[in-house]
Amino acid sequence: MTSAPDLRPPSRPIKAAARFAKWQGRLAELAILCGIVLIFSVINPSNFPTVSNFNTILNNAAIPAILGVGASFVVLTGRIDLSIEGVMGAAGMTFVLLSANSRETMDLGWLALPIALALGAGLGALTGTIHVVAKVPSFIVSLGMWYIGLGVAAMLFGYEMIPFLSNEAAVAWPTQTPLGVPNSFLVALLVVAAGWAIERYTRLGRFAYAIGNNEGVARLTGIAVGRYVVALFALAGVCSALAGVMGSLALGAGAANVGIGMLFLTLAAIVIGGTPLSGGKGGVLRTLVGVLILSTLYNGLILSGVDPSIQSGVSGLVLVAAVIVAGWPHRNRLKVFK
Amino acid sequence: MQTKLKLTTKRGLFGTAAALAATGFFALSGMASAEAVSQQTYDKSDLILVTTVINATNPYMASWIEGSKALGEKLGLPVEIVQSNGSSQTELAGIQALAAKGKKIVLVTNPLAASDVPAIANTVKQNGGYMVVWWNMPPNYEPKDVGDNFVAFGTYNGVTAGECGAKGLIEAMGGKGGIIALPGVLDSTVSQERYAGLLNVMKNYPDVKLLDTQPANWDQAIALKTTQQLIAKYGDQIDGVWTADDGMLLGAYEAVKKADMIGDVKFSGEGAYPPVIDLMVNQPDGDVVAASSFHRGYKAAATGLLIAYKAAIGEINISAMSADQRHGQYGIDCVTPENAANFQANGGIDPAWLDKLIADPFMDLVGGAVEAPKS
Repeated sequence: MTSAPDLRPPSRPIKAAARFAKWQGRLAELAILCGIVLIFSVINPSNFPTVSNFNTILNNAAIPAILGVGASFVVLTGRIDLSIEGVMGAAGMTFVLLSANSRETMDLGWLALPIALALGAGLGALTGTIHVVAKVPSFIVSLGMWYIGLGVAAMLFGYEMIPFLSNEAAVAWPTQTPLGVPNSFLVALLVVAAGWAIERYTRLGRFAYAIGNNEGVARLTGIAVGRYVVALFALAGVCSALAGVMGSLALGAGAANVGIGMLFLTLAAIVIGGTPLSGGKGGVLRTLVGVLILSTLYNGLILSGVDPSIQSGVSGLVLVAAVIVAGWPHRNRLKVFK
Repeated sequence: MQTKLKLTTKRGLFGTAAALAATGFFALSGMASAEAVSQQTYDKSDLILVTTVINATNPYMASWIEGSKALGEKLGLPVEIVQSNGSSQTELAGIQALAAKGKKIVLVTNPLAASDVPAIANTVKQNGGYMVVWWNMPPNYEPKDVGDNFVAFGTYNGVTAGECGAKGLIEAMGGKGGIIALPGVLDSTVSQERYAGLLNVMKNYPDVKLLDTQPANWDQAIALKTTQQLIAKYGDQIDGVWTADDGMLLGAYEAVKKADMIGDVKFSGEGAYPPVIDLMVNQPDGDVVAASSFHRGYKAAATGLLIAYKAAIGEINISAMSADQRHGQYGIDCVTPENAANFQANGGIDPAWLDKLIADPFMDLVGGAVEAPKS
């Protein structure tokens, strides 16, 4: 290519058009979700579109939705948090061992929850601090933190037998549906709502967009970028920890790999929802739609009797297709891609 | 280079005789004997016991470590544990690091992948140590082709294990109804064998229908999630859940319990994990766990480590070992609610088992190489 690099700032489209495009983008994902629901309902009219199956989907969506809130904020700044599964394991094991369990380690009652969340916040803040202070890419720090988290979880697990939670009411709670939908999904909705409020109404949220849009400008305007990035990683850590606790409740037991497979699901949901990994736009509501798309897809493929070896391939295809569709209008502007 | 002539001591003779009396049919060949052994042998103080595990969080692996340590204590040698954490490279690097310490390695390994075995064998060969491998080995790769350093390969017959679970399950279901099956991973030989066992048993029960088969990655969390989807699809058509491993059984159990179907569905697994045995004995949700087969990591690790150790000190003459001893299968017990209490009483391990094993390391050997399941 011999053409000179285009250094002009991207032309600013008029406001109304921008608003329309924004809604169009948001509607596109919802349309995909409705499309998937429709297709699977036609394929499995007797067992897909039922209340109990939708509750199964919502229950499965709860954990990635909670993870997605924290991870979306990190991605909004143009960074990435790969430590999700490790933090889930560490916090989940902490929660189980501090609750009444079959190993009879300790029973702190409800206090186990804030301690597990604090551990998540600590691990997240540590990731953020190392990333900011040592100027190491978040990609690699959080990758390391993934394994540190798994290591903590494995250490807590030790060489003994599986610790089962003794409080049967607590274990049964996430899947119960007193309000029509599973409690686990209600927790996820609360977290998403809190995330949306942070994103919309607080400095932390607004600055996340600013940092992701143009970090240099954000710095010049006096935003303490480092401090906010650390806070956002800590927030992501809290979300991962909560997901770990929810995962342990679902299992009724402690397991170091309680978060297995969640990283792909969460990051894919963020991208499919329409938050680009480059940051600066998107948000937690989009991620929720992304999570619902993937959870519905997973459920529908099993219900439709798709061969297990094909299922994971389909999930990958959907991710790649979503990225292509999302990036299509911008492909000419990308002079450099890597 | 130190090659020693190993002469039979009174104790050795007694051990041999006791072992022969106990098992009846094992040839003298593999045992300590008056003849000189063909392989290079070492003094006990030159040896280091090494055991490798894929991770330490799986109950099978935890039991494996326990068995290695128990034997180490009996032999008066410390045991080094190499944790591969799911990485073949980490596993190999750990073994190589221990090999570089200067002592001769006595290794029992449950390799992460079959393809790891040649590299591990090379490391042990260069070190001059001895190893026994369980579970995974490349096809057409045999200990005797590698040489003395690869003393033996042992495995359990997965088909028998799958049959044990399937038989108990289907009988508990009254010989009819719908089953969902949760194998481990699709390309795992162990999983395929156990699944072949399920299909074998189902041939005798025409009224049993296999509703669906979904691999659950040997994982409790994934089994939970998968079972929830299958419950959404089949609902009360499900009368039984066959799983290739007790970890997955526990995940499926939790899913069925959460769907309020626990009294109507039976389960079978593999591995006889203590929590599963507990479900059989105490039956908190009724008599629903029908069967699990039993081969504890404890026994595999202790047996393998002991065979390698005896080869290293010259109590086993490698050139005189039978084909089955070099590549064979070891016995599996079928645990059902009837005999579960018995198993629970001693943690599944007869307290005298380790002493009996030391007298005869091939005590639990039941046959030759396992044939691959035909699909």
